[in-house]
Amino acid sequence: MATGAAEFKQEMPPPGGYKPIHYQRIPARQYFNGWTLFGGYVVMTAGAAYLYYLNCKVVQQEEIELRSASFAIYPMLLAEKDRAFLKQLRKNRDEETKLMANVEGWKTGTWYGEPIYNTMPKDKLLIPRAQEYYVHASFKDFTTRAYISLLS
Amino acid sequence: MSLSPWLKSPFTDLTGAIVSHQWYDECADIELKALDCLEAYGLDRGIKKCDTLMKDFTECSLKIKQFKRMFALRFERQRQYLMGERSKEDHYAKAPEYDSY
Repeated sequence: MATGAAEFKQEMPPPGGYKPIHYQRIPARQYFNGWTLFGGYVVMTAGAAYLYYLNCKVVQQEEIELRSASFAIYPMLLAEKDRAFLKQLRKNRDEETKLMANVEGWKTGTWYGEPIYNTMPKDKLLIPRAQEYYVHASFKDFTTRAYISLLS
Repeated sequence: MSLSPWLKSPFTDLTGAIVSHQWYDECADIELKALDCLEAYGLDRGIKKCDTLMKDFTECSLKIKQFKRMFALRFERQRQYLMGERSKEDHYAKAPEYDSY
């Protein structure tokens, strides 16, 4: 017999009882089956191949034209490079003459009078190393050329 | 001047390096001339008789004089600048075109 101030209420199931517990598997909803996927792949490939076919000839012709143009101007660019190279060698020589004008015993193109090669003809063109090519320019210019791959 | 190793073992020839300038280098001709001369005269006479050719080949291979020249030019330029004989604009020459070398 309850004689307390608040009346205790026992927790009971809802009226009508609990609903049944669903324990069966719920599989995922399938949109396509395997054969549909294969078919879709074939259809997509066929469509893409058709679009490629519409454009591929033009693209190849453009590539051929660009290559032809490159081949055509390459000798001219090479010739320009060689001309610039020789002009720069002349400038280097003049700069050296100007620089070492007051140094005694120095003759342009030699090491204090001693020629570099004894067995070669005196007018043989000696291709300089890169450092020697840039000897009259600042070191920064030399590094710009040395690391030219960083610029392109 | 000795051209063969001091101690020869089976490994000497197995792992020896064959280094030559004959791969279409600029020093190929002068190397051939120097070595032909040495072969013709032998080692003892050859190092006296072929001295010019060998010196030229050494110079071509190691670029000793050309680098010494380069250092001398550079040093002289810096010396002139520091002593005040060169102005600041004149310190270095204009750079060559970067695609010309």
